[in-house]
Amino acid sequence: MIRALAIAALFCAGAAAVNFRNVAREAGLTDSIPNGGAESKKYIIETTGSGAAFLDYDNDGLLDIFLVSGPGGSNRLYHNLGNGKFADVTKEMGLEHSGWGQGVCAGDFDNDGYTDLFVTYWGANVLYRNRAGRGFEDVTAKAGLKQDRVRYNTGCAFVDYDNDGHLDLFVANYLKFDFANAPKPGDNSYCWYRDLPVACGPRGLPFDRNILYRNKGDGTFQDVSESSGIAKPSHNYALSVLTGDFNHDGFTDIYVACDRTPSILYINQGDGTFSEEALPRGAAFDDNGKALSGMGVAAADYDGDGWTDIFRSNFSDERETLYRNRGNAEFDDVTLAAGLALNTRFVGWGCGFLDFDNDGRKGLLVVNGHAFPEVDRLGIDVHFKDRAILYRNSGAGKFADISGSAGPGILEKHSSRGAAFGDYDNDGAVEVLINNQNEPPALLKQSTKPAGNWVLLKLEGVKSNRSAIGARVRLWAADLVETDEVRSGGSYLSQNDLRLHFGVGTARRIDRVEINWPSGVHQVETGLEINRVVTIREKP
Amino acid sequence: MRVISGIFLLWALSAQAQEDALEKGIAEFNRGQYAAAQAALEAAPDTPQRQGFFALIRAATGHCDSAQAELAAQLEQGGARELGRLAGLALTQCQIAAGKYDDAVAVLARLRTLYPADADVLYQCARLHMKAWNDALFEMFQKTPNSFRVNQISAEIFEIQNRYAEAIPEYRKAIEKNPAALNLHFRLGRALLLESHSPDNLREAQREFQAELALNPTDSAAEYEMGKVFLVNQQPQEAAKRFERAVSLTPDFPEALQALAKTRLEAKQYPEAIVLLQNVVRLQPANESAHYSLMLAYRNAGRTADAASEQAELDRLQKSPQGEFTDFLKRLGEKAPKQ
Repeated sequence: MIRALAIAALFCAGAAAVNFRNVAREAGLTDSIPNGGAESKKYIIETTGSGAAFLDYDNDGLLDIFLVSGPGGSNRLYHNLGNGKFADVTKEMGLEHSGWGQGVCAGDFDNDGYTDLFVTYWGANVLYRNRAGRGFEDVTAKAGLKQDRVRYNTGCAFVDYDNDGHLDLFVANYLKFDFANAPKPGDNSYCWYRDLPVACGPRGLPFDRNILYRNKGDGTFQDVSESSGIAKPSHNYALSVLTGDFNHDGFTDIYVACDRTPSILYINQGDGTFSEEALPRGAAFDDNGKALSGMGVAAADYDGDGWTDIFRSNFSDERETLYRNRGNAEFDDVTLAAGLALNTRFVGWGCGFLDFDNDGRKGLLVVNGHAFPEVDRLGIDVHFKDRAILYRNSGAGKFADISGSAGPGILEKHSSRGAAFGDYDNDGAVEVLINNQNEPPALLKQSTKPAGNWVLLKLEGVKSNRSAIGARVRLWAADLVETDEVRSGGSYLSQNDLRLHFGVGTARRIDRVEINWPSGVHQVETGLEINRVVTIREKP
Repeated sequence: MRVISGIFLLWALSAQAQEDALEKGIAEFNRGQYAAAQAALEAAPDTPQRQGFFALIRAATGHCDSAQAELAAQLEQGGARELGRLAGLALTQCQIAAGKYDDAVAVLARLRTLYPADADVLYQCARLHMKAWNDALFEMFQKTPNSFRVNQISAEIFEIQNRYAEAIPEYRKAIEKNPAALNLHFRLGRALLLESHSPDNLREAQREFQAELALNPTDSAAEYEMGKVFLVNQQPQEAAKRFERAVSLTPDFPEALQALAKTRLEAKQYPEAIVLLQNVVRLQPANESAHYSLMLAYRNAGRTADAASEQAELDRLQKSPQGEFTDFLKRLGEKAPKQ
């Protein structure tokens, strides 16, 4: 009885304590990130950028920040100084680069112990090899990743699809676009939004197809899109990428949120090929069988049944979509039942599950902002700059929108795109980095520490890839059982902390952790301490 | 003998010239060169075809009165198929221009029987209804500017254009003027839901559907919308009751049947959901959404072969070129049939 009261008190205290503030300015993130027109946009390319990343590039145990930029500025790398402040180290680290930057993903592709970066562009992608935390080297050509034509690359993820210990690379492609031939606002029926001439597309613009590069283990990659079946879906406008072993067969599958077309679920066949099965598995459409405008995508076992579920953010006048994994990668759209059908006026982009109160249940944050600045002329309740949405996981498969009482950081209005989730000061509370179009980024941090206990697991592969991408973790703490997986990419064209954060409520220790490594190794750890970062190295 | 053959040659040449004149006349008509067509046809033999084209020229140059009898005759003659089609279209054009909509409706009905998949005929039908709609609307605004119907029709126009924020106050004005009018509360509630699913809109929409049901307790569409509100508010059992009532009031109400099926799916009552969805696809074989739900119901029930068959049907339907237009029509959204 006492224990029940204590838990109730903890949750009540937690509920009162959620107060996200935007600390970007005090953290030193003051530079605006350019991305197309701020008042109006002529081309679709201006609407889709860009992503954000949390990564620890110098292995000092503190998450650094990388922001992708549109033309008119460079991508930016900020070093975490450890005192809540960040310093711009873009130039000295060799990351100055300008262009129509879209997405970012991170992973140690050469297994040297340092996290590398891949940045996607409309134009040509760039692979940056991390030189022992002292700088980044553009190895795109050397690695065989030069593209033979201009492509509209969007989301990306490092993934070890063949479990050979070397990270491969998946790159989503949105559509075929070139300035010379692109229609202008109002040119055809796909260039209008509610009687306003706006940037055309994606409908009416030609499709492209996604790409899979296999890591040959010698620092080079080979395009296996055709032979792997990745190139087969050819009528989708692909944006964000989510990886995960959704059917627990030991091989990583790939989900792609697609705009205005059915989303894609590549099921890994375990023989180097993929089969696209989103439709029969219930993850292509909404529950009416309609393709929505998928933007961002996130994964979590939100209902604690051990299976990874999928959340997808969509366009305005559409519901967000929560797909519950009913087992073996068969999904049901449970958006309505989960209480996520209320917010239909937002265009959602970056999204992620996070246990912001450390109660052992992952809530959900979505950042928003309409694609077209022109929408503000309509005087309706749909805006180019809009607030974020924060949902508390109320248990029993339900979410409650607590945006109005979750602090000023949630209510600030921006035209947000990428969002990355990570604990940059290792205090057990997950922060959110948001890339806002033509504004400085936002850095959402809770003003008070969450009441619940926590643990951050940093996994290190030995036989598996060094970043442990694809490792699946099941954790037991008191009466809590939680599941998560190390992922590259995700959210909207962004990269979250590669470490796994678990809130464990009132539990005093972590009873048990089971890890399924991509190599096939099953590892069990017991009796871990709480409220700290715990590094677990793959056992031989 | 040479004289005879010379006469024959002259006759043949003259007949050929007349044939050429007819062809030239038709070609000029098709190019829209009516004076040249008239001149060429004057030299053509006097046939029903020639008379038909004379009538078409008169209609095209604004002399409908003298053309209509011949056009009507050409339509019914059943001779040259293309000429009959053109005559019918020209006749309706004349009738629409003269404001004789009832006559035009009758001719178009005949044309649709004779030429069931003709784009020009269907276009003319759409045009006729649009013109009649515009005229009636103008008359309504002119003669009864303060009636609730003016607000209602304004709201409906805004709704079709997705301008819900403007539709909602018009519905409210209409209700203020005539709170007992059927369908107004329903339309307002639905516009509120289309605008947003905010808690305020959900509450107000629910009130409006209740008001509609108070006026007409057998309104299955209002019951169905009530169910949808309960679903969004995470009250699936209450929603199911509403859908059940909607179906009991209108057994062939596809949307309500499908919504009820989804509540059964959610409750893992797969056989019952399957029966309901089979009913929907029987009523609406091209309903993609119902086929999708049925595919998932079969999948969840372990009926893999049936699920694959539904997936194949869905693939076939989704390739339909009419998809987007059908979608547009769905948005115009009238109540379910037979209500």
